[in-house]
This record gives sequence, structure tokens and C-alpha cells, in this order.
Amino acid sequence: MQPENNESMKKIFGLLLFIVCVAPMTLWAQDSPTLTVSAKKEVVVGERFQVVFEANAEGKNFQVPSFDGFTVLGGPFTSSSSSFSMVNGSMSHTIKNTYTYALQAYKEGTFPIGPASLTVKGEKVSSESFAIKVLPDDGSYSAASGGGASGGSNQGQSQNTNDPQVSGKDLFLKVIPTKKSAYIGEQIVLTYKLYTKIPVSSLSVDKMPSYAGFWTKDITDNNGGSLRQSTEFVNGMEYTVAEIQKIIVVPQRSGKLNVDPMSIECIAQVRTESNNRRSNDPFDIFFNDPFFNRNVVNVKKELSTSTLTIDVKNLPDNGKPASFAGAVGSYDFRTDIDKTELRTNEAFTLTLTVSGTGNIELLQMPEPNFPPDFEVYDPKITTSPNITAQGMTGTKKAEYLVIPRRAGSFNITPIEFSYFNPTNGTYSTLSSDAHFIQVEKGSGDDGEGGIYASNQEGIKYLGSDVRHIMTGNPHLKSKQSSFFGTAPYFVVLLAMLLLFIILLLVSKNREQSKLDVAANRNKKATKVARGRLKKADQYLKVKDQNNFYVEMSQALWGYIADKLGIEQSKLSMDTVSEAMKEKNVPDDLTQQFVDTLNSCEFARFAPGDAEEKMGDLYQKGIEVITKAEKVL
Amino acid sequence: MKRYTLLILSIFALLPAMRAQQSAEQWFEQANGAYNAGCYDSALMLYNRIVADDLESVPLYFNMGNAYYKKQEYPMAIYYYEKALKLDPSNDDVRTNLAIANLAIVDKIEPVPQSFFEKGWNGLKCSLSGQQWTILSIVAFALLLVSAFLFLRSRNIGLRKLGFFAGLVMFVVFALSVLFAAQLKKAALTEDQAIIMNPTVTVKSTPNEASIDLFVLHEGTKVEILDHADGWNKIKIANGSIGWLQAENMLPF
Repeated sequence: MQPENNESMKKIFGLLLFIVCVAPMTLWAQDSPTLTVSAKKEVVVGERFQVVFEANAEGKNFQVPSFDGFTVLGGPFTSSSSSFSMVNGSMSHTIKNTYTYALQAYKEGTFPIGPASLTVKGEKVSSESFAIKVLPDDGSYSAASGGGASGGSNQGQSQNTNDPQVSGKDLFLKVIPTKKSAYIGEQIVLTYKLYTKIPVSSLSVDKMPSYAGFWTKDITDNNGGSLRQSTEFVNGMEYTVAEIQKIIVVPQRSGKLNVDPMSIECIAQVRTESNNRRSNDPFDIFFNDPFFNRNVVNVKKELSTSTLTIDVKNLPDNGKPASFAGAVGSYDFRTDIDKTELRTNEAFTLTLTVSGTGNIELLQMPEPNFPPDFEVYDPKITTSPNITAQGMTGTKKAEYLVIPRRAGSFNITPIEFSYFNPTNGTYSTLSSDAHFIQVEKGSGDDGEGGIYASNQEGIKYLGSDVRHIMTGNPHLKSKQSSFFGTAPYFVVLLAMLLLFIILLLVSKNREQSKLDVAANRNKKATKVARGRLKKADQYLKVKDQNNFYVEMSQALWGYIADKLGIEQSKLSMDTVSEAMKEKNVPDDLTQQFVDTLNSCEFARFAPGDAEEKMGDLYQKGIEVITKAEKVL
Repeated sequence: MKRYTLLILSIFALLPAMRAQQSAEQWFEQANGAYNAGCYDSALMLYNRIVADDLESVPLYFNMGNAYYKKQEYPMAIYYYEKALKLDPSNDDVRTNLAIANLAIVDKIEPVPQSFFEKGWNGLKCSLSGQQWTILSIVAFALLLVSAFLFLRSRNIGLRKLGFFAGLVMFVVFALSVLFAAQLKKAALTEDQAIIMNPTVTVKSTPNEASIDLFVLHEGTKVEILDHADGWNKIKIANGSIGWLQAENMLPF
């Protein structure tokens, strides 16, 4: 069964008992079947209206004409009702089937609507054809729309009834930024508020704004799914205000950034004027009481904000500290260390805490500078943001777990944290305390247990750089002062060559003169020997043995020494015979010479019978010298 | 004799530079002070004043390279390191810093591998500076003469043998040092290498703007100049590729 509308229900309500009683009866007096049509004859462009076909009998195969010139918004909505009535003892049974179409006119002109048809008990019933005149839109149709529709009053709950207009003063959406001009990184809170003077039954967000160039965080206060409501006065009028959305936006680049509009669709509940209702039904009067909410019409309304432009400024360049890493807001910074005296391989924790107002979630924590020998684990970073109406505040902590591996005194230099304060437009730098850490040698790591593990490790290179400049004497020289190939270079070489040649010549002369000395001696040898032999001859005549032998010996030795170029000191029998052999003196002559020398020496130190021997030796001496003279 | 040689040498070598020496050395000291204080611009100004006086030395060019490196002007740093290396190919400090500066530029070119002989020859040539080779040639010549004298005049057979072989060795040393000194001097006098100074340049196939693009080089790359033609240089890069590039893109040394 079709869901019956309220209008029908209340008519049926009173007759229910009766229906039950007479239901078995089948024989009824009935009118001939008819199909009537009711619609407005004149509409305005854009107006929504209904065309209702009504049949007074059950039928099948309902056929509709084409609604040329109109947009069919919906339909057919069918409903049927039947009623029994007893008037003056005669009972009548009324059946009413309605087929309703919702149409909207979209262009001017007169448009005919053809007949609709219905087959009732094999008989085709048609409605009359009629024409609808569409008038140009003069803005008045909304005022007239309250009345006219005869079928409309039966469809109070339908959203397709003639719309009462909701003016922009009664219902509007607004975006309220905390500021329209900000620095990069400064947070702005945008609040989307719905202002209304009329009740709104539901709303849905059609289009969320896009935030190109912004980091966003939705901070809408969703307490149990309902919107936060308050009352505000605008232009002296009281509005109910609902916060649709609240969002923190943080611009990430400079320039004029646009926030696209948000649009929402809401259904406003508009009270229609009660004198527009026409009904002869006594039940209607009762049930149309405001108590039953009969005269409220739901109006769909689309609302959107205007485009919001935010002027984003770059952070000033002058005065930007080296430690600045993009933090904008107002912050506090401190570091805490849990212990400063410990043993090697024990851990300590260094906690960096930044707290304040600003975009704490994107905040970049400063990094501490630990001594290179420390083993540092990745920090544990905890962010605890606290959302307030003014934006985000909160605390960010970085906990470093650090294990010193070597004993000694260490210094963790103060850590700097810089931020930009947009309220006064300046940078601030906060510096933490320096921490001194005393690390004692731990008990287990230095070989006391008898295991001599080596603690050596390779050199750790911490960085690389070019070697330092050369200082001291720069040994500056004129360009192209290369000594090679210049005249002085060749002069030096030539000078050395010259020196070499001179030295060579000098040494050759000296050699020559040495040779000359020997030749002199050679030349003089015969002369000297002859002189000595003459003296010996004189001694022989006076028979002076001693002097004779001395002269004789000196004559022989001197001669051979001069001839052979042997020095006096090296003179001996052996050197003489060797030297003679070298000079290719015949062996017999050498032997003879040596024999003569021997007998001379012998006679000299062992004098015996004088005369013959002396004469004999003298002759021998002359003989060998003469012979030697020929050879040498 | 050796002392004599050195004396002559130093007089000839230093005489022309004596005039400007005094103030230039002061500038050098001041510039080093500025460098140590981190004022690289003023250090460079002072160094450049010395260069403008037509003076040069390995420490000067090395320090200039360092100052440019600290200013992160790597092409200029490489340029001055290369200049220093040209004066003294054996300087370890210069080589190290040049290698570090070369890490900071865009182009990484795999050099053509040298043959064993080439490597040894160049290694030997670069083991001493031109000045040192010159001195060595003089010393070797002197020793050659001494050996010859020993060989010719000694009456001791051992000394004569020593003189002969020492003379042979000294002759080889002398010949090599003259050769190397001559090569290094020629290299020092001709500007046959250059550093690219433009951030990006396109090497062409002919000295004509309309010709085909061969490859792209970036600032700081060292090229060898093979030829010139109306404002264009024919260049060769370390991997052996050859092309033409407008001369204004590079700084020859």
C-alpha cells in the first residue's frame, strides 16, 4: 500500500471503525470514471509548481503527456485514498488516486500539456489538455508563490513546495581570520561561522576550502558532534551563530595567498503565513495549529564565503641569526641534563625543551654539539600541542640519550635557539646553559680483569678542508725569470768547461816537467858516472881502498838510479833488477850489472888483497856502464 | 766550485726582482694575516697587488687559490692552484688542495689512462721544478767535467774507471735535466691550458656559433688549448675529447 500522507490519514482517522464494519460489502453505487488535471495556469520563469492528475477510480497503465518546456523535477508521486460516506442512508464509496509531478519552468512562452490517460476496467479515460503560460521573471513570483498551488497545501512536508525565499540577511556564512596580514610561519586562526535568524534543520558542507600555500590544522571543537552555538549582535540584530569550522593556517610562502571560499548547503525552516492556507476541511484547522508544525517549509539554501586574501610577508633578512631555523612565534628554550658526573659507558639524557606559542608541530629543534667521542642516539621527540582560540601553543621536547665512551672532562657548548617574534617583528635568540660533564673511567673497560684487550682505534676524521696557506718567505720572483736557457746559464756552463780545459792543460804541463826531470837525470847519468869513475881511478893509483870502493859503488848505484828513474830511497838490488827487466834490458847484462854491484859492495865491506881486485872491478864497472849505455 | 755556481745562480735569478721585493713581501705578510682573520677579499686584494708587480711564486698562487676556495669561487681557486703547480709540479700541498677543489666542480672527467712509460716520464719530470732541474743540470755538468778529468788524468786505474762510469751517469743526468728544464720552461712561457669560467658552456664542432653542439662543460674544468682561430680556441679535455670554444669562456694559464 502506498504510504498515505497525513492529510488523508486524518480523514480516515474518524472513519476507521466504519471501514472495518462495511469492508465485506462489495456492491456500491459508483460514478463514471474521470481523470482531472489541476495545475497553475500562469507561472514565472524559474518557478516550481505541481501538476496533479486525479482519478476517481482504480486504474492501470497511467500515461503522461510530455511536459515540453518544463523541467521535470520529480514524479509521479502517486497516492490513493478511498472513503465511504453515508448520506441520508445512502452509502457512497469514493476512491481517489492522484499522480503528482513537480515541474519547473525554465523559459517564457505558452506551453500546451497534452492529455494523460488511464485505463479503468478496460476503458481508457483521458484528461483534458491545457496550456500553461510562463511569464518572464520579474522577481515577484516568490511573493505570489505562497498561495496558488492548490495541491501544495497537501504537501507541507515536501521540499518541492513553492519556495519561500530566505534572504541573505537572515542566513549567511562568514569566515573570520584573526589577521589578514602575517609573516611566513605565523599562525592565523580562521573561523567559519554561520549566522542565522531562522532555525536551520541540517547543513552539509559542499566544498571545503583549499589552502594552497598554507600548512593547516583543523581545530574545530567537535563536542559530541553538535556545533558550538552562541548569540551575537550584528547591525543591531540578534543572530544565532554556529561555528562550522575552526582551522589554524600557517602560510608557507610569501605573497598574496587566497583561501578559496567554503560553500555549504543548509536547509532552513521557514514559517509560512497561515492565511495562505485554504482548506475547508474542519480537520485541517485543528491540525494546522502551529503546535503541529504544519506551517513550516524547509528551504534548501546554498551559502558560501567570499574569497579571503591574506597578505604574507617574508621574514626580514637583517638581523637573522645563524641559528634561525624557521621558528615563528614566541618561545622559551632550556636544556636539562640528568647527571653531569658519571662513568664511561653510563648513559645520560640531555633534554631540550621549547615551549611557547607558535606552530609547535612543525618546529625544528636545535641540535646540540656533543664531543666527538660520545655515542649519541637519535633523539626522542615529543610534541604536546595545546590548542587555544588564539592558535597553537605547547611544548616540544627532544631527549638525547648519550653514552660517553672515554673518560675525561667534556663540555657541551650552549645551544642556541632563534625565533622570529611577529608581534614586534624582531628575531630573538635564546641560549641554553653550558653543561660540563666529568666522565670517570668505568670499572670494566680498562683491562683490570687481566684481559689486555687493546683500546686502540683508528683516527676519526671529523672533516676535510684545504691545507692551510703557506707562510714565511714567499720567494717571490719576477715572472718568466726562469734561469734555464738564459745567457748567464750558458755562461756558467761555458765557464766550467773553460775551467776544465785550463785544468787539463795545467796538469799536462806538470806531467811533462816531471818527465823532463827524469830525462835530465838520464842525460846526466853518464856524465856523473864518468866523474865518479875518474875519481875512483885516482884512488886506485894511490891505492886508497876505502875511497875507491865508495866512489865505485856510488858511480854504479847513481848511474843505474838516474837511468831507470828510481828514487834514492827505494834503491836496492831487487828494485834495480826489476826496473831493468821492465826496460827490456837483456838478462845477461842485468845479471852482469848486479854481479858487479854485488862484488863492489862485498869488496867494500870486506877488503882483501887490493890491487888486482881493484883494477879488475874498475874494468868491470866501465864495461857494464858502457854496455848499459847502449841499451838504456 | 759548487759554491761559486750557486752564488752566480742566485745573483742572476734574484737581481731583477730585488726592486719590488721589499714591499711585496710585506704585502704578502699582510695578506696572510687577512686570510687568517677570514677576510678573504682583502687578502686577495693584497695578493693581486703582488701579482700586478709582475711577481710570482708557488706560495703566492697557492694562497690565492686557498682564498678563492674559502670564498667558494672554485674555478678561480683551481686556476691559481694550477698556476702554482705549473711553477712547481712537485708541490704536495698544491696537489692536495687542487684535488679537493676539483671535487667541488660539476664536471668529473675520467682522464685517458697514461701508459707506464708516459706515467714514469711525466712523474720524473714533475718530481722537480724547472728551477731545480736547471740547478741539477749545472751540477751534473760540473760533476761530468770532474769525472772526465779523473778519467783523463788519473794514473790510478781504479780512479779512472770510477771517472768513466760516473761520467756516463752524469752525462745522462745532465741531458735529462736539460730536457726537462727546457720542457718546463716552454710550458711556463706558453699559455696552453685554461680553466672554464662560465657556469655552462657548449663546445662546438667548428669555430662557428651555428655548428653542431658536441658536449657541455661547466665552470672549473681544465682544458688544453690546441689552436686558436678568430676568438675561438680548439680545446681538448682530459678524456681526449676535442672541440671549439669561444676564448672568452676560459682563463688561460
